[in-house]
Formats: sequence, C-alpha cells, structure tokens
Amino acid sequence: MTLLLLLLVPFCAALIVLTCKEPERAVRVAIAAGTLQMVAIANAVWRIRSAGVVQFGRYLRADGLTAFFLLNIAVILALVLVYSIGYLRHIPAGRFSSPRWFYSLTFLFTFTMIAVYLSASLGMLWICVESTTLASALLVGFYNTKGAVEAGWKYLVVCTVGIAFALFGTIALYLAAVKSGVNPASALDWSVLMNAAPGLAATRDLVKLSFVFVAVGYGTKIGFVPMHSWLPDAHAEAPTPISAMLSAALLNCALYALLRFDTITSHAIGSAFSHTLLLIFGCLSITVAALLMVVQRDLKRLLAYSSIEHMGIVALGIGIGGPLGILGALLHTFNHSIAKSLMFFTAGSVRESFGTLRMRRIHGMARSVPFTSAGLVVGALAIAGMPPFALFISEFMILTAAFTASRYFIAILLLLVLSVVFGALLHHVQRMLAGKRTEEPARLKPLPSQFAVMGICTTYLIVFGICIPRVFANLLQRALVVLQ
Amino acid sequence: MGLIEFAAAKALASSAVFLFITLLMMAAAKRISTCIILFSTQSAIMAAEILALAYAGKSAEAYAVAALVIVVKVVAIPYALFRIVKDLKASQDVASSTTGAQSVFIMAGLILLSFHVVVPYAKTLRLDEDLLAAAVALLLAGAFLMVSRKKALMQVIGLLVLENGIFLAALTTTYGMPLVIEIGIFFDLLMGVFLMGLFVFRIRDTFEHLDVSKLRRLRG
Repeated sequence: MTLLLLLLVPFCAALIVLTCKEPERAVRVAIAAGTLQMVAIANAVWRIRSAGVVQFGRYLRADGLTAFFLLNIAVILALVLVYSIGYLRHIPAGRFSSPRWFYSLTFLFTFTMIAVYLSASLGMLWICVESTTLASALLVGFYNTKGAVEAGWKYLVVCTVGIAFALFGTIALYLAAVKSGVNPASALDWSVLMNAAPGLAATRDLVKLSFVFVAVGYGTKIGFVPMHSWLPDAHAEAPTPISAMLSAALLNCALYALLRFDTITSHAIGSAFSHTLLLIFGCLSITVAALLMVVQRDLKRLLAYSSIEHMGIVALGIGIGGPLGILGALLHTFNHSIAKSLMFFTAGSVRESFGTLRMRRIHGMARSVPFTSAGLVVGALAIAGMPPFALFISEFMILTAAFTASRYFIAILLLLVLSVVFGALLHHVQRMLAGKRTEEPARLKPLPSQFAVMGICTTYLIVFGICIPRVFANLLQRALVVLQ
Repeated sequence: MGLIEFAAAKALASSAVFLFITLLMMAAAKRISTCIILFSTQSAIMAAEILALAYAGKSAEAYAVAALVIVVKVVAIPYALFRIVKDLKASQDVASSTTGAQSVFIMAGLILLSFHVVVPYAKTLRLDEDLLAAAVALLLAGAFLMVSRKKALMQVIGLLVLENGIFLAALTTTYGMPLVIEIGIFFDLLMGVFLMGLFVFRIRDTFEHLDVSKLRRLRG
C-alpha cells in the first residue's frame, strides 16, 4: 500500500492539475501534491529501512537500492517544484504550453520514474523506462520553437530505438532463465533472477548477449558515448526545471535499470564481462564529453556534456567494483544530481537576467547579478570535483578504488579528464563573470524562492563534502548490500 | 489432417518467407502509404503465426496476444498513420537516399546476413532457424529504413518494423513473454506512435517540411 501510494499521488496530481485553468491555482495544487509526495516517499523509505524489502502485489517491490534512489527523486522533485514557481513566468499561453500542462507532464514524468524504481519485474522495468521517454518528450519540446521540436523529435526517436535494444536484451535474459529451468511466469522478476543467477551460468553466451544489448539500450538513456546524441539537445532545449530533472533524476533512473542487470549478470557469469563493458563506456564517455566541454558555446549544452562526463565517472566506479567503487558511484549519482540541479537553476536565472545562454554574449555577471554568480561559481567548482564540495568525496572514493584495484590506466585517465574539465569550466565561467556588462539591463529579476533553492543545493554540497550524516550513510550502506 | 491443422502448419512453415517478401517490397516502395500497407501486412503475417502457435500449444494467452497484434498493429497503428498522411497533405515520396534497386539489394544482403548470424544460436538452442533469421532481419531492416529514408513518417515506420523484429524474436525463442508485460509493451508502442505523430505535425508547422535530414540546427 505504501508503494501504491507513491504512484497514485503523482498520477492523480497530473490529472487534477490539468483542470486548473488559472496559473496561480495550478502552482498551488502542484506544491500541495509535491508536499504529499515528499511525505509518501519519506514514509516508504522509512518502511523499507525497517523492513528491508517491501512488496505490493506481484509487480511492485522495493529494497535498499530503491529507497536510495527514491530519496534522490524526492529531493529533486522538491527543488524543481519550488524553482518552477518563479520560472513559470516565461511560459507563454499556447495550446499545450501553459503552466497546467507543464505541471501535469512533470507529474506524469515523475510518476513514470518512480514506477521504474518500484518495478519488481524486468519487463515492467522496461515498460516504465520507455514511458519516461514518452512522458518527457513533450516536455523537451515544450517551447515549440524550431530547436525544441527538433530536440524533442531526436530525443523520442533515438531513445525509443535505444530502448528497443534493451527490450531485446531483456528477452535474451528471459530466454536464458527459462532455458535454465526458472518458471516462465516469474522469470522476469529480478528477485527471482537474483536467486537463480548462479544457475544461469549454463547459458553463458545468452547472458552475455543480453547484457551487451541492455548496456547499449539503457546506456542510450544514461547518455553513454557514442549513444549520447540526444542528450545535449534535449537538455539545452527543454525548460530549465526540466533540464534539471532530466539530468538529475532521469539519468539516474536509467542507471538504476542498468545496475539491476549488472548485478544479475555478475552473479550469473562473474563480474569481469559486464564490468569491462561498463569501463569501456565510462572511459569513452568521460574522454569525449570532457573534450567537447572545452568547445561549447551554450551554457546548458556545457552542462549537458558535463552530465555525460559524470555518468561516465559513475560507470567507472561500478566497473572498477569493490565496495568502495560502488559506494563511490552511488554517492556520486546523488551528489551529481544536486550539483547539476544547482547549475541548471543558475543557468535558468542567467537566461532570465541576460536573455541568452550564449556564453560569449554574457559578461560582467559578477557585478550585475552577484547571487546568481555565487551559485554559478559554487556549482562549477562542485561539478569540477573541488574540495570542500561533496563531489570531491565521491570522485576521490572512485579514484582510490581504481588505485587499490591496480587500474592505473583508468585512474590516470580519470585524473587527466578531471583536469581538462576543470580547465574548461574555469575558462567558460570566468569569461562570464568578468568584464563589463554589455547587454541591456535585467529583463526579469529572479524570485527569492529561486535563490532559496540554490541556497539549499549549496548547503548540501558543502555539508556532504565535510561529513556525511549518519542516516544517509546508513541508507547508502543498505543500497550497497543489495548490489553485492 | 483437418483444415485448421493444415492452415496452422502452413502458417508456421511459410511465415518467415512471407516476412522476407514484405521486407523486400518495403525496400522497393516509393510511397509512404505503400509502406504502411506493407507494415500492416507484415503484422498480419505475425498474427497468423501467433494464432498457429496458440492453436498448436493450446494457450489462451497466445490467443490474447494475437488479438492484441491484430487490433493494435494490423488495424489501429496503420489507420492512425494513414490519417496522419492524409491530414499532412504533404508529398507521399519516401525520400530515399538510395535508389530502389540499391535498397532491394541492401535488404537482400541484410537478410543473408541475418541467416549467417543466427545459425550458431539456432543450433545450440534448438530453435527454428528461419523464424529467428526473420526476426533479426526485421531488426536490421527497421534500422536500415530509419537511416536511409529522410521523411519523418518513414522513421516511425522503420521503428515499427524494428519493434516487430524484437517481438518476433521473443515469440520464436520463448513463445512470448508473460501477458501483462506484453500488454504493457503494446501500450507503450501505441503511445509512442501517437507522440511521434504529434511531433510530425509540429515539425511540419515549425519547419514547413518533413525532411528530417534537414533538421540540423543542433550540432556538436
């Protein structure tokens, strides 16, 4: 029942908010539904903490890993909803582009993402991941400009094809399970598969085939190079709160799907195969993304490539393996989502006060918009992995894991990439901060609520960079247990 | 042997060949509406095969899946695509980047390739080689149609063909997935086509054309 509530709240909210014609009422309904959802998620996380595994019917199941990612989505949803209050002033009244449609689609998007986390069966998981694409495609194309329509189309087509490969992989794993004697009716449930995994070794080739397809399929959604082509466009053209959600919640959601498969594959045929594949994707992603970050001209595209880079780092953490590597990877998904939300929120405020995101046309930020600039600097330092911010800790954990596992090539590559990224971010940010303002004065002043959100992100980044609260560490530990 | 057994045996034995024929015709097709009809035919062949399997295996679930295929893929999606074509009032040309003859040869090559790929798997898993090859061929053909045809609608059709391939792969290897999952996949597919249709209209309205190869504002 706890789990069903998690799905019912956003679904009902999506329907109710559609009936609110006036923007103010839509905002109020959305905030109320968001609060309700926070409570529901907190309750679910608490239940999972005390019970270990919570199951509802045959198709909903949650364990420690689910709880960790549910917390992630709750935090991001809260931040995005509060930030949107101010941001919605930009949305022109069109046929499908009004605040109520925005909120309705956002809640639908949240609904599908939570459904991904709660799926007990890998088939359901696939269906839900595909629905996240469908729910968010309209949000990506929300502004209906040329760029937005193109990005939406590309997102829809590239991700649907990618996800189709994941379905093929899922079927291959199902076949392997059925051939190894698992009851066909439950051969897609991951809890059943986890228990039956050692018996799958007989169908080694099929399990390998399945993981390759799944890695390519869900990897498309995570944004691994070379399947990343949709990601920068979608992130750059979507409304800013949605960019934050895509980067901070959706990528993690796809990563969660891959993690489930990775664990089953590792249990079945040993971790060497799947982890090598992840390391290859990770190395490719961080290298290509870091180099492309140097030459970006649009702030949000820069952030999108940074997301690819961070997902690559997470893939490296999982690929290196060991408790430290996986712990670092999990912590990194959380840290990255907060830091990247902060960056997208500041990017939104930059667009509000400068009317553009072209970094070459933005000058003198430090003097004209000091608070936004502070957010930008903190965010940039954090995503570059500087101490004392939280991402430093998780990146350090992954690096330590790489050195202890004697993966020197990967460790050195990661260090090189981090320095290139640092250089690129410094270069872009200082050019925007310094100098004299050349554009016309501020068009729109950001609201206090927007600054509040940025403040919360900054506080998180600093606090978690210094010490991780015990409650959170506990949650992390429980997620780790599931993966081992 | 009764008539129904005979029909079922024939459907199982020859459906792969018919699927290959639809693929080759799709490669040669010059008009979008032809491709839609071919897609519908292709789905109908698959439905016949599922019915035959259902009859052979006496499985109620398989009958339900066959009914779903007929409703969604043979009727609903082609009908929706025809509506889109009609409402768009745009030219029917598929705007291929390869000539008709080239496309047919490439398609034939893909079919040969898929036979080559599946032979080892079919042997070890003791599965029907032709149908597994047809599944892989559908996958490859869908991908080929998506990259070689420039019209947005043809990409949707390519995607549908690709999805048919995955569906056939599931069908021949495991006799389909659990029914609930199958229904979910169909629902997703339907919503996906609906959304893509929506985007096709938006592309037309904002760009005044439907040639996706000209969509290249966003690069790098």
